[in-house]
Amino acid sequence: MSFPLGPSGAFSANTGLLLAFFIGIGFGFFLEKAGFSNARKLTAQFYFRDFAVLKVMFTAIVVAGLGFWFLVGVGVLDLSSTYINPTFLLPQIMGGLILGIGFVIGGY
Amino acid sequence: MKESKPKPYWSPYLAGLGLGLVLLLSYVILGEGLGASGAFARFEYTVLRAIVPKHVESNPYMFEYFANGANPLADSLVFIVIGVFVGGFVSGIAAGRFKKAVDKGLRISQGGRFAFAFIGGTLMGIGARIARGCTSGQALSGGATLALGSWAFMFAVFGGGYAAAYFIRRQWL
Repeated sequence: MSFPLGPSGAFSANTGLLLAFFIGIGFGFFLEKAGFSNARKLTAQFYFRDFAVLKVMFTAIVVAGLGFWFLVGVGVLDLSSTYINPTFLLPQIMGGLILGIGFVIGGY
Repeated sequence: MKESKPKPYWSPYLAGLGLGLVLLLSYVILGEGLGASGAFARFEYTVLRAIVPKHVESNPYMFEYFANGANPLADSLVFIVIGVFVGGFVSGIAAGRFKKAVDKGLRISQGGRFAFAFIGGTLMGIGARIARGCTSGQALSGGATLALGSWAFMFAVFGGGYAAAYFIRRQWL
């Protein structure tokens, strides 16, 4: 068995969609547990009142990042069949600025 | 009747650990990270094509999602977002937090809050398409895989948020 499972042909496209649904359930579950369904909690970081958003995000990034690069390092996870966001610095910075402004205006 | 108080949110580190493991699982199983905005784009282009097919078919960016007869909705991102609704709903019910509410500060009307939500949501949609992703697809997923542009995106999001926060403070404080 080789990883990632989907690109290695371990299951059909439709099974992949079902698995994505279950992964989404986990995603939504922990987002809600973190308080990310509350717009006031989300925007409180921008007023230096509650840094839960930063703590949750960076904990998740560190946990997933360590696991990801460990699995790549020991040769379990094939990096070439994994989607890594390509770099387009200017659009990513401009889009990020617009999204950040929208975030504090919209609340989510 | 005694009203039960909602349970508190989890420690951010515990919730972050759970979120990180789900993100890792997504990479190990699907070979891609988590996302949200892409699913909405796919849904919108599908609806738009049903209403004004010529517009979508003449727009190379939108039509790419339909290339070679593809169905934009048959995509893992779409199913992840459907799952997010279910997972958030289950978690909210279990914690006794499920209720109808408008999250806002005390100095803004409900209508004002809705107007800002619409404006903010529109800006987020535009920003996410320019950057090819949102807080989930770029910051979280690209952050974990150490994608350079995603880190630039993340700092830009916080930069934009902190820069604009002062002007919109009446809505939240």
